[in-house]
Amino acid sequence: MLLKTVFVRLLTTAITLFGVAVVVFTLVRVAPGNPISMMLPPGATEEDIAALTALYGFDKSLPHQFMIWIGGVIQGDFGTSITLRQPVDELVLGRLPATLELSLMALLIALALGGLVAVIGARKRSTGTEVGLDLTTGAVLSIPDFLWGLIFVLLFGVLWPVLSISGRVDPRLDIDFTTNFYFFEGLLRGRWDVVSSTFSHMLMPAMSLALPLAAMIAQLLKQNLKEVLNQDYTTLARVRGFSETSVILREALQNAALPTLALVGVQFTFLIGGTVIVERLFAYEGLGNMAIDAVINRDLPLIQGIVLLFAALFTVINLLVDLSYTFLNPRLRNG
Amino acid sequence: MNNLHAKTLDIINLNVTLPNGHRLLRDVSLSLEPGEVRALVGESGAGKSMIGKAVLGILPTGISISQGEILLEGTHLNALTPATRRKTIAQTSALIPQDPLTALNPVRKIGPQITDPLTRIHGWTKARALARTRELLDRVHIRNPDRVLNSYPHELSGGMRQRILIAAAFAPSPRLIVADEPTTALDVTVQKEILRLIRELQQETGTGVLFVTHDMGVVAKISQKVTVLFGGRVVEDAPTRDIFENPEHAYTRALIAATPTPNASIEPFRPVPPALIAELHREIQADDDRFSKRAQP
Amino acid sequence: MVDATYSPRPMRFKVRNLRLWLPLLWIATLIIAAVFAPIFAPHDPLAQDLMLERLPPFFIDGSEPGHLLGTDSLGRDVLSRMIYGARIALFVSVIAAFSTGIFGSTLGLIAGYYGGWWDRVISRLVDIWMAFPPVLFAVLLVAVIGTGLTSVIFAIALIDWTRFARVIRAETMVQAQMDYVDSARIGGARRMATLLSEILPNVLPSIIALLALEMGIAVIVEAILSFVNLSISSDDPTWGSMISEGRGAIHFAWWVLLFPLIALFLTVLSFSTLGEGLKKQFDPVLK
Repeated sequence: MLLKTVFVRLLTTAITLFGVAVVVFTLVRVAPGNPISMMLPPGATEEDIAALTALYGFDKSLPHQFMIWIGGVIQGDFGTSITLRQPVDELVLGRLPATLELSLMALLIALALGGLVAVIGARKRSTGTEVGLDLTTGAVLSIPDFLWGLIFVLLFGVLWPVLSISGRVDPRLDIDFTTNFYFFEGLLRGRWDVVSSTFSHMLMPAMSLALPLAAMIAQLLKQNLKEVLNQDYTTLARVRGFSETSVILREALQNAALPTLALVGVQFTFLIGGTVIVERLFAYEGLGNMAIDAVINRDLPLIQGIVLLFAALFTVINLLVDLSYTFLNPRLRNG
Repeated sequence: MNNLHAKTLDIINLNVTLPNGHRLLRDVSLSLEPGEVRALVGESGAGKSMIGKAVLGILPTGISISQGEILLEGTHLNALTPATRRKTIAQTSALIPQDPLTALNPVRKIGPQITDPLTRIHGWTKARALARTRELLDRVHIRNPDRVLNSYPHELSGGMRQRILIAAAFAPSPRLIVADEPTTALDVTVQKEILRLIRELQQETGTGVLFVTHDMGVVAKISQKVTVLFGGRVVEDAPTRDIFENPEHAYTRALIAATPTPNASIEPFRPVPPALIAELHREIQADDDRFSKRAQP
Repeated sequence: MVDATYSPRPMRFKVRNLRLWLPLLWIATLIIAAVFAPIFAPHDPLAQDLMLERLPPFFIDGSEPGHLLGTDSLGRDVLSRMIYGARIALFVSVIAAFSTGIFGSTLGLIAGYYGGWWDRVISRLVDIWMAFPPVLFAVLLVAVIGTGLTSVIFAIALIDWTRFARVIRAETMVQAQMDYVDSARIGGARRMATLLSEILPNVLPSIIALLALEMGIAVIVEAILSFVNLSISSDDPTWGSMISEGRGAIHFAWWVLLFPLIALFLTVLSFSTLGEGLKKQFDPVLK
């Protein structure tokens, strides 16, 4: 039964990813502008163009091109970037750590901030504080990450310049790490200069991405907490002498977190989607920034690779959320 | 605590009110001697559960004590700060809840749910808390305590869970236990055993019990004293024997008459007469008028 | 039992009304500014004056009385550009939201009512669409179909239709179970007629609420595309292109970023608050 569910899930995931591949492949092919002519110096001959077109396979029919590309993808070969002249998988995997670090940092901030506001709101339920928090989270929720980014650029980049507003790390730092996870590897190696530099570059874009999600978590979790706080076992905990805060944290939070989690998973994929423009805004050297450059430069193999990677990331996250949901709920764990 | 000869519980002229001023308890007074079981009876809406909630400081949001005193082991609860009050109540009292299915946290194992209050509120060592828990689980006839302590609530039956809740209530050796209709949600067969367990443990430990129920049959089995309530008012307060043998108030008589007896199949069911209910409501109205005059001199 | 969550109703009612009126007030201001832009704008939004470049707004020393909110790097009046920008913002939001709404709701109604293969195909399409990062999708689409306002609107409709399709599909499925749909069918109504006369009116409130939300989203998407220089020509006065320019000149003339940002902020907040308010107004359960 369980195996069948997993199998069906994997199959639909594969169909979705295939659909994404078809859509992105078709889109970039119908785009006007010849990518080959953009690569060559102005004086290039017809033969040069033909040779290069053949090299990238653009002379073949569209279905044929698609078969070649998808065949390569299955074997782990995503083609070669036209503008950067490097294998797409190398380029993409080189940038992925930056985007993952940013997204995870944003998720952590959203969970911490949203959780904190939810707990305070539940603690102060039926008071003016709760009404005030509701209005604030409602407003924060409706402002998208792009606008938060601009607001932060203005506030902490210009009016009170305490954080850097562009880049991922201070370029003067000497980083000879084995991975591109600067922040995590810096933590492991104890390179605090790298850690603090990446952190101060990451903080504003991460906050921009985190705020709408934090507000959503705050609203939903508080609602769930309030429901749980009417349950008999929380009353019993109060009689046993636990303070309201301790009742919320020890008895209510895990129960209330379960229904919140399902939503956070979907929203986290939206958050990752938001990195594209936020990275652009902060000149953060991640996947999204590279993707926009690739679109502007008509770098077809690179666009295809990045879009496919994002899609794969989204589906994997949804799968992980379902798994952790099962793990956190004892009733589902055994049955 | 500050008076060795104090009553376990002394409630004087307690009034509990909704935000709109409607009274749920009207000048309720009652007391509980150490080791005594007092039943609080009445139909639903009589305010019998509200008394226990007021004593334990768990009145629902918006409902508050507007007048009156509650003395727990001689300590005036109203005079304490909320934090001290919470501690005082936890040190001396416990609750056996109505519905065992919702009274245990579904995502936590049974063990810590019993031992946590002992270690974190009563300051016991882990070993002592665990030993005491095992002792009490054995006392409520749970045969494999280690397996139960490692279980989640959904893995146990309703009767099992209520026995666990009884063990948890008695574990810190409280002076007062509020039992809020502890058998209502259970099968008839399980009811008897639960009732017997509460009585046995209460007699062994000398704990005073406020036993909230709507069932006169249960009253006869467990209590020494009875408080009969209607509409938040005390209608009659007497030793159990007197209540059954010589009930003073017409409403008490009606309640006893309405209780099914073992030969209920022959006797017709006799509900409380509507005329009597109307009379009681008139009394409450008069009482409320006096109360509002008293409130605005 | 006693209602444990007693709450004073009259006060909440007032706050809710305010939540409808304040957004409407801002949107009305925008509409007036857009319609009468030539009257209100003190300058030509495109007129450059290199003698008066990067003038600060009125509350800072060195400002010129004629340029209330200062000028940008080419000496163009910020206030005038913002007022003309309201035209483009409103145009994009209304046209894009309605295109998106009509496209998405139609697919949602079909999937929810006809079910079967219709539903399977549309739901699969929604899944595929949701696996795209929306901003990258928009950038890619505009790169494919060319820059310009029409492309921006087209791109928004082509990407965000899933928002309508998902909600309307779910609601249609609920409505299709209702007795009145059966009785209409038994009465001899054709499927298409039933869909339009019985189901559509019942899901219309949700569509209207979503439209308000979508208008706010459309304004943002236009700004994002302007920001990556893919909307209309950067000379044209859109809030997005002003923001893009302000981001570049942030250390010299932060007001070029600040004022359009405030306008964008209030507009998005208004549309989304309006959407939420309408949703609650229409929902008989919440009312």
